[in-house]
Amino acid sequence: MTTDIIFETKNLSKHFGALIAVDSVNLKVRKNSLHAIIGPNGAGKTTFFNLLSGNLEPTSGQVIFKGKDITHQPVHRTIHFGIGRSFQITNIFPNLTVFENIRLAAQAMGRDNFKFWQSASRFKNYEARTSEVIEQVGLKNRAYTLARTLPHGDQRKLELGMILAPDPEVLLLDEPTAGMAAEQVPDLIALIQGIQKSGDRTVMLVEHNMNVVMSVSDEITVMHLGKILAEGTPAEIAANKEVQTAYLGGLYDLNV
Amino acid sequence: MTRTSIFAKNRGLLITLVLLVLLPFIVGLFDGASPVAVWNNLSGNSKFIQGLAIEIFILALYALSYDVIFGITGLLSFGHSMFFAVGAYLTGIAIKTLDLSLPATFGIVFVASIVQAVLFGLVLPRVRGITFALVTLGIASVFHIVIMSTELGTYTGADVGLQGVIVPEWISPANERLRFYFIALVVLISIYLLYQRFVNSPTGRVCTAIRENESRAQMLGYNTFYFKLAALTLSSFTAALAGFLHTLYQPIVSPNVAGLGFTVTALLIILIGGVGTLQGAFVGAIVYRLLDFGLRRYIGESASFINGAVYVLFVLFIPFGIVGTWRLRSFQIKQGWESLLKAFHPDSHQ
Repeated sequence: MTTDIIFETKNLSKHFGALIAVDSVNLKVRKNSLHAIIGPNGAGKTTFFNLLSGNLEPTSGQVIFKGKDITHQPVHRTIHFGIGRSFQITNIFPNLTVFENIRLAAQAMGRDNFKFWQSASRFKNYEARTSEVIEQVGLKNRAYTLARTLPHGDQRKLELGMILAPDPEVLLLDEPTAGMAAEQVPDLIALIQGIQKSGDRTVMLVEHNMNVVMSVSDEITVMHLGKILAEGTPAEIAANKEVQTAYLGGLYDLNV
Repeated sequence: MTRTSIFAKNRGLLITLVLLVLLPFIVGLFDGASPVAVWNNLSGNSKFIQGLAIEIFILALYALSYDVIFGITGLLSFGHSMFFAVGAYLTGIAIKTLDLSLPATFGIVFVASIVQAVLFGLVLPRVRGITFALVTLGIASVFHIVIMSTELGTYTGADVGLQGVIVPEWISPANERLRFYFIALVVLISIYLLYQRFVNSPTGRVCTAIRENESRAQMLGYNTFYFKLAALTLSSFTAALAGFLHTLYQPIVSPNVAGLGFTVTALLIILIGGVGTLQGAFVGAIVYRLLDFGLRRYIGESASFINGAVYVLFVLFIPFGIVGTWRLRSFQIKQGWESLLKAFHPDSHQ
C-alpha cells in the first residue's frame, strides 16, 4: 500500500450560529485505504462529510483533494473530481427504474447531456456501464423495478451503484448499513470491500456498527464534539482510554 | 430513423391524426355537405366544429408547454400565462402597429420567447419550489398590469383587448378555416413529436431526475440550472407559438390570457389529462374545452360553478388524470396477466 495522501483537510470548521459542528479538523486520508470515521451521535461526522463533498460551505479551513484546493467548488463538480457520496438517508430517484437511476449517474460523466434531439437509448456506452454496475451491486433481477418499490437493503445497494457508475477514486459512504437487517450487513460490507479492492479506490466510511468498523478499516478517526479525539489502526483505537470514555454508558463495546 | 418508424411506435398518434384529418369532412357529411363543399369552406357545421377543434389545438399546445416544466421538470410556475400572452400580444402588435409580414412576426415572437425564458431563468438558481411559484406569479402580474395600462392602450387595447389584427387572406380563419385547421393540426403534432423526443433524450431524462430529486441530480454531477433553463426555453417557445396562433385565430385578444386564471387553465388541463404524460395535455384540452362549451350553452354563466365542482372531483378521484390512470391500469392488467400465465406455466418464466 502506498502512503500517498489523497484527501486532506486543513483546519476545517463549520459553525451553525453558536454551534460549532466541526472544529478545525486536520485529517489526512491515505490513497487506497478504508478509512472509518466514528464517534457518538452529534460528533459532527455527517457535517464533516458534507464539507468534504461540497454539500456545505465550510466556515473556515480548506479541503484538499489530490493536492488541489476544492473547498469552494459547487456540489455538482464533486463527482467530476472523482468523489462519490452516499447519504445516511437513502437518496435516490424513487419513481424511476433501478436501471434509469444508475444510467443517469453514468450519463453525467459524458458530454451528451444536451443532445435533446437524440433518444437516450442511442448512447449505448452509458447503458453498457449501467449493466456492468447493476451486475456488480447484485441488482440484476431488479433492473426494471421502480426504485421506491425496492426493499430497503436493495435501495442501499442501488445508491452504492449510483456512486459507483461514474468510477470515482474516493467513495464517501455515510452509514451504508443504516437500517439494514443484520443478516444483510456482511453482504454489503463484502460488496464495499470488493469495490475498494477491484478499482484501486479509497473508501471513507461513517459507521455505527462497531463489528463492521473494527474488522474492515485500515485506519480509524474518532470524532467527538466536532474535534478529532483519536486516530489510528483498529487495534490502537480499541485500546484507547479516551475513546472509551467518549462512548460513556457502554453503548458500544469496542472489544467485540 | 425514418418517418414510418416514428408512427410505428405511436400507433395511437397515427390513428388520432387520421381521425382529425377526416373530422371536418365527416362532420360535413352529417350536414349534407359533400367533401368538396367542405374543402371550399361551404359547410357551416363543419366550419363550426373546425373552429372548436382549432381552439382545442391551441389550448393543447399551451398545456403541453406547461407539462414540460411542471410535469416533467417539476417546476411549479404561476406565471405561465405570460409565456402565452407575450406571444399573443407581440403577434398582434407586430402585424397591426408595425405592419410586419407573418414570417417576420413569427421571428419576433421566437426571439422574445427565448428572452423571456432567460428572464425567468434568472430567478431559477435563487429560488426553489413554492418560492419559484410566487416569484413567477409576481413577474407575470407585473406584465398583466402593464398590458392593461391605458398608457399603452394604442398598442395593447388596454382592458378591452387587442383587436383589429388583419390576418393575411390565405390563412384567414373566416374564409380559409380548413387551411387554418390543418396548419394548427400540423403544428400541434410536430411540437408533440418534438416533446416526445425531448423527454426521451439525455436532456429530458435529467429533467425527470430533477423532478424526482434535485439535490441527488446535483450530486450525480449535473448542473441542474442549465437543464431547468432548457425546459423553460422549450416551454416558453411553445406557449408563445400557441399565443401566436391564438391571435391569428381570435378576432380579439382578451387581457385575461395574461392573468393568473389562464395559468390555472393550463394546470387544470394537465391535471385532467395526466401530469407528465404529454398526451394528457391533448386529452385534457378536449375535456376542458368541451365541458366549458357544453355547460355554457345549456346552463349559461353559472357554468363555472359546475366546472369547478367537476375539477374538484377529478383531483379527488382521478388524481393521475385520464392518461395517467389509463397507463397505470394497463400496466397493472399486464402484470396481472403475466402472473396468471406464470401460475399456469410455472417453468416457462424461471
